[in-house]
This record gives sequence, C-alpha cells and structure tokens, in this order.
Amino acid sequence: MICQKCQNEAVVHLTELVDGRRRERHLCVDCAREAGLTLPDAPPDLGLDAVLQGLIQKNVGELVGELAESRCPDCRLRYMDFRTGGRLGCPHDYRVFREGLLPMLQRFHGATRHVGKQARLRPGASLRLRLRSQLRQAVAREDYEEAARLRDQLRLKDQHA
Amino acid sequence: MTLDDLTRTSGEWLRGTGPESDIVMCSRIRLARNLADFPFTNRASRNEKAGIESQVRSAVDAAGVEAAYFDVNAMSDLDRQFLVERQIISRELAAGEGPRGVAVTPKENISIMVNEEDHLRIQYMLSGFRLPEVWDEINALDDQLEDDIAFAYSSSLGYLTACPTNVGTGIRVGVMLHLPGLVANKQIDKVFRALQKINLAVRGLYGEGSQAFGDFYQISNQQTLGKSEEEIIKILTDVVPQVLQYERSARQELVTGRRQHLHDQVSRAYGVLKTAQTISSEETMLLLSSVRMGVNLGLIDDLSIATVNELFIQTQPAFLQKLRGSELDSDQRNVARASLLRSRLANGRAVEDE
Ligand SMILES: [Zn+2]
Ligand SMILES: [Zn+2]
Repeated sequence: MICQKCQNEAVVHLTELVDGRRRERHLCVDCAREAGLTLPDAPPDLGLDAVLQGLIQKNVGELVGELAESRCPDCRLRYMDFRTGGRLGCPHDYRVFREGLLPMLQRFHGATRHVGKQARLRPGASLRLRLRSQLRQAVAREDYEEAARLRDQLRLKDQHA
Repeated sequence: MTLDDLTRTSGEWLRGTGPESDIVMCSRIRLARNLADFPFTNRASRNEKAGIESQVRSAVDAAGVEAAYFDVNAMSDLDRQFLVERQIISRELAAGEGPRGVAVTPKENISIMVNEEDHLRIQYMLSGFRLPEVWDEINALDDQLEDDIAFAYSSSLGYLTACPTNVGTGIRVGVMLHLPGLVANKQIDKVFRALQKINLAVRGLYGEGSQAFGDFYQISNQQTLGKSEEEIIKILTDVVPQVLQYERSARQELVTGRRQHLHDQVSRAYGVLKTAQTISSEETMLLLSSVRMGVNLGLIDDLSIATVNELFIQTQPAFLQKLRGSELDSDQRNVARASLLRSRLANGRAVEDE
C-alpha cells in the first residue's frame, strides 16, 4: 500500500473514528512522524501498564497546565499566581482551584475535611461577593450605568443581609 | 483610651498570675476569619478594605466589647512598632497598606486586627497556662461578632482563609514559655525536635531585629484542618506540661548542682540592671531572663514577676521613645533604657545566701 501523503511505502495503518465516521489512514514512516505518531524502532513491547502510565502522565500534565492558567471569575486570581504568591484571592477560590488545593491540604494538614466549629448559614453572602466583583469589573471598563445598577443591588442585599 | 494611655498601663498577660506562670508567660488563641462577601485582603481594593474595616468596627461595637480602635493606616511608624512590641499587632499588619487597624481592650486581653492577611485576626491572651478558659472567651466573642458578620465558610473546608495553611478552624493555639533552664543545659533543641515531630511549631520571640527575646519561646499548633478546636487545645494541654517538667528539672539541676554559680549569675545580672548607665536591648533581655529565673527560684525576693515581665516590653525601642515623647537614636535609647531600669529596680536587692 502507498502512503496517502506521498508515494512511499505505507507502514502505518490506522483506523480512526472521526465524528462517528470511520477513517482509514495509511502513512509512510516520515509522514507518520510528521503527523506526530511515534514509531518505535524495535517492535513495540510496551505492556498495557506502560501505555496506561503514558496516558495518565499525558492527561495529568495537561490538567496541571490547564489548572495553572485557570482563573477565578470573581477575584481574577490565576492558580499560577497563588502558587507563586502563596495567598488566595477570595473565598470562591477554594472551589475554583479545588483540584490543586486538595492534595496540598492533605500534605499540610493530613486532612481535607473540616471538623469543629460551624459558622451560621448566610446564603446571601456569596452572591454579594459576586455582585461586588461585577461592580469592580464594571468600574474598570468604565460602564458606569452598569456600576450604578450593581451598587443599588448591593445596597438592597446589604439591607437584607 | 489612646495610644499614650497604653504607656502607663500593661497587659493583663504580663501580670504573672494564673497556673504555671513561673514558666508559662501567657496562653493565647487567635482565630482567622474573613467576610464572605469580600475578596481577601491582598486582593481587595482600597474601597473594599475601607468597607471591611467599617463592617468589622460596627460588629465590634455591637458585640459590646469595650475596645479602643486604632487606625494603623494613619499612625506613625513609631506607634506601629509600639503596638508590635506589645504583641497587639503583627509585623505583617504594621507593614501592610491601605485601611487597616486593631481593636484593643484596656487590659489588652483582646485584640482584633482588621485587614491583616485575613480580614479579622481575633486574638485572646491570658497570663498563665489556661487554654480552655481562653477558648471559652474567644469562642463567645467569635459568636458575638458573627451576629453582624457573614464569615467565609464552607461546610467541607470550614472557615476559609487567605492562606490554605489556616483553613478549617482558622485557629492558632499557643503558649509563650520562659525556658532559661533548657537553654542553659542545652536540651532545648532536643525538646523542639520532639515537638516538631508531632506537628507543633516552636518559635523564638524576637525583640529588636532578629535578636532572641530573653529565652521566651512560643509553642503552637500548625495544622488547622481535620481536628476540632477542642482536639487541638487538648494536644497542647497534654504536651506543654511535659515541657514544663523538663524545664523544672533543668532549673532544679542548676539549683542543686551549681547553686553558687547560679546565684552569682543571677545577682550579677540584677546588679547590672540596677546600676548600668547605658545598656543595649540585647544585654537587657539576657539579664532580665536570668533575673526572672532568679525570682522564680527564690534567689531574688524583693521583685515581682509582673515587674520583670513588664520590663521585657518596656525596655523595647518604641516604648522608650513613646515614654520620652521623642525619637531617640540607638545610643540615646541605651541611656534611656538604663535610666528606666534603674528607677524601676531602685528598691530591689538580691537575697543573701546563708
Ligand atoms: Zn508519506
Ligand atoms: Zn477568587
């Protein structure tokens, strides 16, 4: 069989499912390498464990990258900023960066669940935090109409707090 | 109550009363709390910090705490340092920026820092070893403040704090110990290593710069998540008596084994403090530590522990300058310090060895 991209002998034969449709690919060594498909020189002797490990590493690696860039919608802190500065930006960060924080809490405290005194429930408080961050962002983009509206809303919430 | 009033009084925690007060200077608990509807201090705008400050101030008023509020943002560097020396505010609050301050009761048992690393750092101190009592007091105060403040809290992670090392209970339970015996017999590092193994932190107290504050050390918990306040307090109330035991036997060894040497050292320290014309902060701490141990071992009988405790604070640089009402350079402070010591210790004398 001949490579689909050039006229060399195809050595890689793949069947992929793309959007529910079968697609066959036949590539030569060079084109396969260019397409990012690695070819072991020796016949593949990778056990299933090694393959899984590779997959996990690849996914966790991407996750960490994604987490590092992730940003709290309210205080605008990036996880990366927290890792360099050591301080979180607002109470919502514990939810936003949960994946990164839990292993850290386990290491430092030897636990990930609170035991002890409980605060009273204040359902309105978290909403006020959000309104306040929207207000800050409205002021930053000089949308004073929106800022005034948010200020009124906050005033109303504060009275009912 | 003004800042100047504070120069004429001293904190209750210096009185030298309460259980085990020969070694335990004071018991202290602090709670880290944040308002649920504001970003943490480091991420808050000036306006937001002002909003946090006014909410906390009105909650403190509503709680009926008889406290003076000091605006740390507006005060001079000297006044900030003065409050740091008195253990009323942290160095971090002193060095911070924007609206921030502290509410303090006249006896200085309660201090509530506003816009430190967390919006509120509530601290309660009592002289001697009595952590359960301190917990009852600060727990009630926390409840009262919560009447007017929605605290940042999650049912799974507890009280949410700017640094994840404080999340959960947000509690720091500590005792300030005077350990000259363990310093003298060089066992102190061993004791510290043992404490660190069970996740307790040991910190020297520091006066001017980084110089050790007369053999005083603070032992406190580090972990705040996964254990209740009572469990954390119990760890301290179980472990601290063992440290006291070590310190007592170290002192006993000094008394029985090297009584003459010890008596000589204590008497000389006392003599220098009473007669010096100029003395550094470092030497003062060193000598006061000897004198404090001497009083506790009955080698000096005309001096109260409270006076010695107070002198640790009153010989600090900012206090001396507040007392004089003017800025003093290092040489001038050494003269002012010696003069204060002479007048405070004028009538004392060492016990005659029979
Ligand atoms: Zn090809
Ligand atoms: Zn945030």
